[in-house]
Amino acid sequence: MKIGLAGLLFGVLFGFTLGWAQLTEQQAIRDMLLLRDPYAFLMMGSGVATAFLGTRLLRWRKARALVDGKPVSWTISAPKKEHVWGSVLFGAGWALALACPGPVTAQLGRGQVGVLLTVAGLISGVALAARFKERKANEAAAVTVPVL
Amino acid sequence: MELFAQRAPWWVAGPLIGLVIVGLLWVANQPLGAVGAYVELHRYFKQPRGVPPWRVFFLGGLILGGLLSALVAGGVHPGLGWQAGWGSEPWFKGAALLAGGTLMGFGARIAGGCTAGHGMCGTSLGSPGSFVATGTFMAAAIAGAHILSWVTA
Repeated sequence: MKIGLAGLLFGVLFGFTLGWAQLTEQQAIRDMLLLRDPYAFLMMGSGVATAFLGTRLLRWRKARALVDGKPVSWTISAPKKEHVWGSVLFGAGWALALACPGPVTAQLGRGQVGVLLTVAGLISGVALAARFKERKANEAAAVTVPVL
Repeated sequence: MELFAQRAPWWVAGPLIGLVIVGLLWVANQPLGAVGAYVELHRYFKQPRGVPPWRVFFLGGLILGGLLSALVAGGVHPGLGWQAGWGSEPWFKGAALLAGGTLMGFGARIAGGCTAGHGMCGTSLGSPGSFVATGTFMAAAIAGAHILSWVTA
């Protein structure tokens, strides 16, 4: 339950900041992607720099998570082809919808009900990908069975 | 409030989101991500058992945070929110949102993250896969927007 509360709290802070930064406006994303306004890139860059410093500090101080006392840790991933072709589709979808998954959720709270279409798309896309991955896993299993 | 009616300077908004990444790791030992929350939501829809996963609460928080940002900036002004979308016909603007959402959901689930998860969280943690994903979706989105701007002009 504690972790749910933490999720809610950080969700509020994230959603509030996206709204205040007006990244919940299609026009802002249009200006970003058409390279007319550096705002969103500068915001992302300064955010990454802050998070880089903060997370190194956590690691250096050997911080423990407040909800369960376990050491703060994270995993990183080596580049895979899924990072590339998945992101090509994601980028195309982002350009079409002019809002990515975080801001679009905050837009709901700002009363922009048209984006329910984007949200419906997100959920069906996620569901389709789950089925796709399942089928791939089954195919891989079918191939490895004779070897065993 | 005057302060919140104006767009936050990038050097305020960016570090605030950076602090969300640090805070989530410190408090909950979890990486930030938006599309992951939709993955959890979909799983929970299929098998609603017990307390929803924390990322579902995170989604609720995002909606509340958006609402709060509108309230302090002078109130909620309900609308469709797609006026600045591509094309001039309403059906086209709506279809672009639905198609865009589907592509984003599918693509980010395959790539393992979105603008928040790979673009901000994964890169700040130094994950090579996140750098590849971010470079790819930025290039695809910038190219896509230029093509859409040209086609719908």
